[in-house]
This record gives sequence, C-alpha cells and structure tokens, in this order.
Amino acid sequence: MSTMNVMSDWLLGAELAPDVDNDPLRPLYDAAARGELALPFCASCKLTLELEQYVCDGCGGQQRDWWVVAPEGVVHSSTVMHRREPGLVLTDAPYPVVDVELASGHRLIMTTLHPDPTAPAIGTAVRVAFRRLGLVHIPAVTNSANTTGPGETA
Amino acid sequence: MTNVDIVGLGMTQMSLRPSLSGDATPVQLAGQATRAALADAGIVHRDVDALLVGSSQGVRPDRLGVGFAAQGGFGDLRLLEHVEIKGATTVAMIQRARHAITTGEASTVVCVFADAPLVAGKGSGSTYAQSGGNIGARGLERASGLLGSVPTYALLARRWLHVTGNSAEDLCAVATTARRWAEGNPDAVHREPLDEDGYRRSPMISEPLRRLDCARPVNGAVAIVLTGEPAIGTSRLRVRGTGREHPVRRRRAGAESWFGGGRRAVDDALGQAGMSRGDLDVAQLYDPFTVVTLILLDEYRLTGEAPVGEFVRAGQLGPHGALPTNTGGGQLSGFYLQGMTPLAEAVVQLRGTGGARQVPGAITALVGGIGGRMDHHAALVLERAA
Repeated sequence: MSTMNVMSDWLLGAELAPDVDNDPLRPLYDAAARGELALPFCASCKLTLELEQYVCDGCGGQQRDWWVVAPEGVVHSSTVMHRREPGLVLTDAPYPVVDVELASGHRLIMTTLHPDPTAPAIGTAVRVAFRRLGLVHIPAVTNSANTTGPGETA
Repeated sequence: MTNVDIVGLGMTQMSLRPSLSGDATPVQLAGQATRAALADAGIVHRDVDALLVGSSQGVRPDRLGVGFAAQGGFGDLRLLEHVEIKGATTVAMIQRARHAITTGEASTVVCVFADAPLVAGKGSGSTYAQSGGNIGARGLERASGLLGSVPTYALLARRWLHVTGNSAEDLCAVATTARRWAEGNPDAVHREPLDEDGYRRSPMISEPLRRLDCARPVNGAVAIVLTGEPAIGTSRLRVRGTGREHPVRRRRAGAESWFGGGRRAVDDALGQAGMSRGDLDVAQLYDPFTVVTLILLDEYRLTGEAPVGEFVRAGQLGPHGALPTNTGGGQLSGFYLQGMTPLAEAVVQLRGTGGARQVPGAITALVGGIGGRMDHHAALVLERAA
C-alpha cells in the first residue's frame, strides 16, 4: 500500500465512505478501485439505467449489467456548496458539486478531484477520475487547469 | 354525494427551539394540535371515527405513527392509516378523508402531522446534513459532498434558471414577498421586514441559494378535522376538488429530471370544482425553497400570460397582487411543517381570520403539495361554504 492510499480525502471525513459490502452500487465501486467507470444497463435492450433502477422502462427486462463506460461527459448543473457541515466536511473553503451527463447517457453527481472554490458551468466538457474516501474510490470531476495540481492539502 | 368540509384547525406554537428533555416530541405536539382542532370543531375525541397521521420520512424512533390512536386518547376507530407521500402527504390525507366520508367508511376524520427536527445542540441544517445514510445512490451523492437537501435544490435551481433564463433577482422577489406576508402572521418565525439588500446579505448556502432562499424547519404540529355531518362545526370549508400527478422522470443525458409535470394535478382539482384558474382568490403553494415557488407558478400556469419572473417581480404574489400567494409567509418565512403549512394558511384565509394578512373577500383557495425532488404533486381546491 502506497503512501497515497492512506492520505485522507480533501473534502470529506471517511465516515461518509459508502458501505461497499452492503451496497447495491458495489459493481461501480469495484470498477472504480481498478480506475474504471462502470454503470448499469439493461441486459436485454442495452438501455441506460439509473443507479438504483432494477426494471428496464424500455423493455421490462429484469436483469442489468454493469459495463465500463467512457469517463467523459458534459455538466448538466453545478453548485458551489458554502455550508460545510462540521465533523463531516474537512475543507475550509467552499466546494463544488457537479451533476454530469455522461457520454454513456447516465447522470452522475460528483465533486472535483482536487479542491476548487468554483464549479464548472453548465455545458462544460469534463472527464471523470477517482477520489479516495476511506477505502472507497469515488468518481470525481477533473476538467480544468486549476484541478491538475497535487491538491491534497488535507 | 356527501359534502366533505373542513370544520376544525388546530396548531401548536411553531418553535425554533429544540425539544428539551423530551417535552415536545412529535406525539406530544400531535396531541396538542388535535385537542385544539377538536375544540375548534366543537367536538371531542369520541366523536371521531377516523384518524390519518403523517410524519417526516427518515429513521426517527419517535416519529408519529398509527400508535397515536392509543397515545392520543382516541376510542375505537373505523379508519386508521399512516399516509406517506413525502411533501404531498397533507393533500393526500385530505383526499383519503374525502374518499372515506363520501363512501361511508367514516364520518368524521382527524388528519394530523407533527415533526420535531430540531434537537438540542444541533441546528436543523445539521440534522438534515447528517441524515441520508451511506448506501445506494444517496450514499454516493453524500460521498460526493451533497449533504442535506439544499445542494440538491441548488442544482435544480441552477438548471432551471439556465433553461428558462430567469435570474437570482426572481429568487429575491419570492423571498421578500413571503416576508411581507409573514409580517402580518403571528405564527410566522421570521417577521422582521426584509428588503433586497437584506436578502443579499443573507449567507450563501449552496449557489444560487442563500439561507433566506430556504425554508425554516420548526418543531410543531397541525391537525385538521373533516366531516360529512352537517351538524358539526360552525365554520365550513368545502373540499371542492383534488388532483395528483407523479411524473416519473429519468436521470438520463438529454432529459430534464427535476421539472416538467404537476400541471395535471391542478387541472384535475379545478375540473372537479368546476372552476378555472381565474376563480382562485389565493394560492398556498409548497415552498421549501424560493425557486420552487417560481417553478410551481410556471408549471401550474398560475401567472396568466405573464412570464413568471415578471409576475413575481411586479408584486403579484403579494398583498393586493393578482394572485396573493403563501399569505402567511409560506415555509420560507412562516414555518416549515411540510404540507400542513399551505393547508393551515388556506383555512385561516377562507375563514377570514387572517388579521393583518387577511386577503379581503377570499372565498376560494388552491393548496399545493410537492414531494421528493418535485416528483410528487398534489392539489386541493377549497371553498368557503358557511
């Protein structure tokens, strides 16, 4: 295990890490640990499904598959969160939350890979990388020059 | 068909103070509101044969439930249910009560909602930020910093402003108008005057939403008595129409997932009542955030030909406006008790007991409820009958 692995997340305390063993999104987290973005599709008709959608609204199929998708998309909406909940939020500055329309057709809410007091505007093209929160890898937006630095200030 | 009338309203004090040493649990608050509502209707517990309870979602060991029949001093009942459809619950309870009374399942129904999110040592924002769990889609959102409900509605607000071309000035107009109404409401938690500068000084919570764009949760309860018995009650507000819509939207690229849908609930309620939008004297909408008032006015087509931003900035929601809306200050400046906030204010207005905030000659009201991320819409049309 490298030093990077035990560094804390820049944004949140590890108690907010998903409970992967009991999580319906486990395939997403397993892929994320390999550096891949996997999301659910209908096994029958290949329609994009929501994260917790179990029956396909296109064909009624009851099986879903998690497939690796391209880690890229466009900002659907974004906000900068100024309220920082004591005990849960570690950063001492406002932080971004971004809702992204992925090229795969899915939508995913993420923060940025590194601290950023601004949020990308609606329509901005972004790429997806992964933060480490506790033992879990979480998809995160990486898009612009000011998010390419080392950044882990916590 | 049996007429169904609201004949009783009971409210606790709406408190910003946490419950200390368990002296104001949801069950205790519900008991106080129910007693007041029964007294208002001129009846006692044994005159009631149906009880509908509502409470906040989430895992709270003391949330109000069907145990309130026994805890609250009721006798044998013919109907007892916990109604749960998030912010649409209150209107859903009125629909359920109306159905029970018109089909003969029950004759006199108490509907009660109680909530106590404020606990000692924590602000309400903290209570919401700490809740939500860490599995599933919500767990992933929370692990990405989406804590509490404000940032979700901030994303929705940003998107809506982007799509419609409305501006933060419109949010400000909703907040200051709500406050003008609250100044005349002794039950409102924020009554001090608020102008645009005061709004802009309000701390940003999640862009573009400031603290004053957000509702103010309280510990409190409201109870309503409905009956089909003509002998009960002195003030009668008739349930003229109800409607619901539950749009199922998909979070997929290229689609809007937060808005669109809900108009049918209002169309159906008005259709049952044999009324049109122009017949409404007041509107009481569910306004947990300023942007929701704007979206609902637009979605429900309540501003006539005027664009919603222009309508609101021109003061049309305020005193002497074209459509006095959220006349007690709403959830923003009045109190946030979910769907009971708009219903209680409609009852006050149609009874003519609004005091300094009374809309002269108010006979008809639209009451709205929304739940989730604007996933559930409920509408109710009331008319003063006596």
